This record gives sequence, structure tokens and C-alpha cells, in this order.
Amino acid sequence: MDHARRKRHTGWWLLLAAAIVLTGIAFGIMWRPALAPQTAIPSFDEARIERGANLARLGMCASCHTADLARPFAGGKPMETPFGTVHSTNITPDRDTGIGAWSPEAFTRAMRQGVSRDGHLLYPAFPYNHYVRMTQDDVDDLYAYFMTRPPLDAPARANDMTFPFGFRPLVGFWNVLYLDDAPWRPDPGQSAEWNRGAYLADAAAHCAACHTPRTELGGPDLKRQLDGGEAEDWYAPALNKNSPSPLPWTRAQLHAYLRTGMAEDHAVAGGPMQDVVMHLAQADEADVAALAAWTHSHLAQAPARTTPAQTSGPLPPPAPDDPDLPRMRLGHELYTNSCARCHDVGRSPGSGAALPLQKAIALYEPDPRSLIHIVDDGILPPDGEPGRWMPGFKAILSIEQAGALAAYLRKYGAGQPAWPGLDQQVRKARAP
Amino acid sequence: MTTYRLQVNGKQHAVDVDADTPLLYVLRNELALNGAKFGCGLGQCGSCTVLLGDQSVMSCMVPVSGIGARPVRTVEGLGDARTPGVLQQAFIDEQAAQCGYCIAGMIMQATALLEKTPAPTDAQIRAHMSPNLCRCGTHMRILRAVRRAADKLAAGGKR
Repeated sequence: MDHARRKRHTGWWLLLAAAIVLTGIAFGIMWRPALAPQTAIPSFDEARIERGANLARLGMCASCHTADLARPFAGGKPMETPFGTVHSTNITPDRDTGIGAWSPEAFTRAMRQGVSRDGHLLYPAFPYNHYVRMTQDDVDDLYAYFMTRPPLDAPARANDMTFPFGFRPLVGFWNVLYLDDAPWRPDPGQSAEWNRGAYLADAAAHCAACHTPRTELGGPDLKRQLDGGEAEDWYAPALNKNSPSPLPWTRAQLHAYLRTGMAEDHAVAGGPMQDVVMHLAQADEADVAALAAWTHSHLAQAPARTTPAQTSGPLPPPAPDDPDLPRMRLGHELYTNSCARCHDVGRSPGSGAALPLQKAIALYEPDPRSLIHIVDDGILPPDGEPGRWMPGFKAILSIEQAGALAAYLRKYGAGQPAWPGLDQQVRKARAP
Repeated sequence: MTTYRLQVNGKQHAVDVDADTPLLYVLRNELALNGAKFGCGLGQCGSCTVLLGDQSVMSCMVPVSGIGARPVRTVEGLGDARTPGVLQQAFIDEQAAQCGYCIAGMIMQATALLEKTPAPTDAQIRAHMSPNLCRCGTHMRILRAVRRAADKLAAGGKR
């Protein structure tokens, strides 16, 4: 009996020890110390600030951190995530509400580990899992740039997270799964320009944040790099061999697209990509060329295929034996009376005409979200920016009409199988 | 040519036109409702704005075949020179027109706003009116006129 009791005691002790060890590990994963505030902002030389400005454009920092153009980098922009609404924060050097008290070490830790100066964990809506691969020199340049912006008083807005994600230390476990702090390595088999593009795309420009699909836990699905993801409910096209583009891209077209948002025979940038283009238009031209070279090497993996994009002229009426004839007829009528007036008038792109729709990438994508957004809301240049313009048809087309138009365009514009759940997607986009 | 039945400003009309005829042309050329103006013909300027159902649309972009049973309302339906509607009166009071070409569209765009948002903030007025262009630069008066109409309606004024 004594023997049995001792054995039971040993079991309890082991359990307790395991609990202590696990608590220690969890603590190590979830807790980070505060770093001391700096008393004064250091000074920087002009060249460093200039390089930082270029990196801030390549990284599109303002895209999230500027909610009001009159208050650059003051934060406050809401971002919908599957885990709740996160608000961007003030990254101006305001001492109390911005990052004025952040030392270079605190800034570097935030960029590389996603930890705020006071030790709380930042949500991965801030793509530190990409910035972790920036060189220290580049991080220092960015620091110099932000520390020399006008300080603005803008306290952080409260986030609205679904339970239990309001408990920030949980992000520590996300970091265990998805934060890979191995430094970026060049590929010696590729050109210097390609490597520059690869570095920028992976680190500062964080292309994969949208163009790689995410797992249930909101991390990058690393087995499907650049296989197509999403941003603000737009489909972000695959940039690898699964690219939905109906025509092969040239490097010159990609360069023009990244720089201006317009690429002949391919696309006008829409949705969140407009913001990307707006920033790249102001970045160093050679860096944008490098990004184009890198992107092109990935898109070039897509096999050549025959698509209606190689044809020209207006889209055809539905076949008389189409099993969905009334709907397809409605779609064709709407196409003819609404879309074709600009899209298929045979004018050159310079004279107000738009892309022939058999070339429109949105028709070839695996889901209809981007097409629905374009049809409903049109394409408007970002506030105060020049750019191509398409009016939205949300008020003009009923839900039934918008669904019929999308179904028709998919089948007779792209020759692709019907999108599953198209009607639900149209209704969802129209939900108030 | 096909016969389309339209309800415009509460009246039924039948028009014989091609399916792709823009609503704007039907209003102006068939029904002699010349309030809505042809500005750009591309849905970029807003001078042809009318209401389709409860939504403001640029009528140069709406093919007549796509209208269906939705009722159309134009500036003529809001009132006339002797009995102007609240928005029309507010535009007169603020003298919110210079050449006047955009004003019918402005008033219809504002009508859509006040029907859905009876007490808009100044920021909401600005955002809502932003698709409509005025080339004379009367914007500040236009914004004041919409504000005035909204305040009058909020104080119990009749539309």
C-alpha cells in the first residue's frame, strides 16, 4: 500500500513539473519586456532619410497607416480581418501617441518581431513576418524617415476583435508558427536585378501578404507561395504557374503596370492594387523594374494556353442550345447595351476605350469577387490621383442583372466553367 | 425598335426606342424632360443624374432595356418655378448656380442623400456629392444649399 501511494505521489509531482515547464514556455512565447523610452530623437543625414522614403513607398506604409491624407502616417485606418477589425496606429514621431519615444532598438524589434515598445504583441495585420527579412541598414533608413516626419497627435483607436483574439499574447503562438526570422538570402543563379526584386518583394513590399493564400489561422500557406490570395475581399491573382492571366505578360508590361496601373492587353489596377501602384509610382524606378523582373520570372512559369483573349471583336451571343439560355441572353443584352459601349468599340486605349473583355483577367480568376466589385463600384483612381476611370453599375444593375452579366462574361467572355456560388457572392457584395 | 413602358415622375409613358438607348436620351428626346443634361456621356460628370428606384444613377449609363419596373424621377418631379421643392428652393436661396448646367444633377444627387440620410453631416454631404462635377466652381454654394435643405427638412419642412 505504501508503495502504491508513493507511486501516486510521484505522478502528481511529474504533472506539476510539466505544468510549470509548460507555463514557462507559454510565458516565453507570449510575454515580451518593455524597452526604455528614448529621451530625444536622434538626428539623421539626408541620404538616409531619402533611402527611407523610398523604402516607405516600396513598403506602402501609408496604405494602412494614413487614414486621412491631410494627416500622413497618423494611423486610425480600420482593417477587416477574419479575427476582427484592427486599426492602424500612429507612426509619426509624436512622443505620446506615436513612436517618438521609440529607440532604434524598439523600432527594429517591432519590424522584426512584431512587438510594440511597451512589450505588447502587434497583430500580424502589420506584416512584420515580411519586414523581418529587411536588412538592418534598411530598417535604420526607415527609422530615419519616420522619425523626421511631422509629429501628429493621434491616439490609437480601439480594435474590435472577436473572442478570444482581443487577448494579444495569443499572437505569440502565431509567431511560433509563422514568424521565420532566417535572413533573406540571394539566389546566386539569378541576376543582381532579379535578386533586388526578390528581396524587395519578400521583405519591404510584402507582395505575398496578399498574393499567397492564408491558412485558417491567418498565416501564409507556405506550401502555396504566390498561389493567389485575397485583400479587402478582392481576389489577389496567383503570380506563379497558376496565374489566371489569359495572355502571357512581358516584363515591359509588368513594369508599366506596377508603375502606372495600366498594362496594354492586360489590366487596369483595381481595388487594393491601386494603392500599391500609387506608391510604386513614387518609388525608385530601378527598384520597380527589379520588382517587375522578379514578378515576370514567376508569371513566366504559367504554361501557354489558348484563350478567347487571343481573339478580338465583341463577345458572341449565347449558343441557341445553352442550357441556361434566358439568363445568358439577359447577360448578353446587358453586355451589349452597357459594357460594349466602351469595352468593344474598337478604339485604341488612348481614346477613352477600355480593355476588350475577353482579355480582362477578372473573368479568368477562380472566384468572381473582383469582377463583382469592378462591375458594382467601377474603378476610380485613388483620391486626388490621376488614373483610368470606369463608372460603377451598382445602382443601375439589379442583383439578378449583375449575376446574369457575370455568368455570361465568365462563359462567353473567358470560356471558363461557371463560378460556384456566384449569386451568393453578388448578394454578399450588395449587402448593406 | 421596341416599346418600353416607363414610369417617370409618377406618370406612365410608352416609348419606341432601341434597347441600348440611354435613359438620358429617352428623357430628353422622347419625353421632353430636359432637366437632366448630357455632359460627358461616360458616367464621369453627373450632370445627367436622376433617380432610378431609390438610387441616384447617371442616366447616360442606363440602357432603357435595363430599367424594368423601377420608377424614374427627374428634377422636374420635385417642383417647378412657382412651387419649388425644398432642395430647389435651397439652391435658389444660396444662389448655388453659375452656368447651371450641373444643377439638375446636383439636386437629384442630393435628393438621394436626403431620402436615406435625413440629417447628414457635412462630411456625408461632401462624400455623397463627390461624383458630381461643377466646372464653374460653385461647389461651396452647392454644399451650403444641400445643408440648408437638410436643416429645413430636419426642422419639419415638407419635401
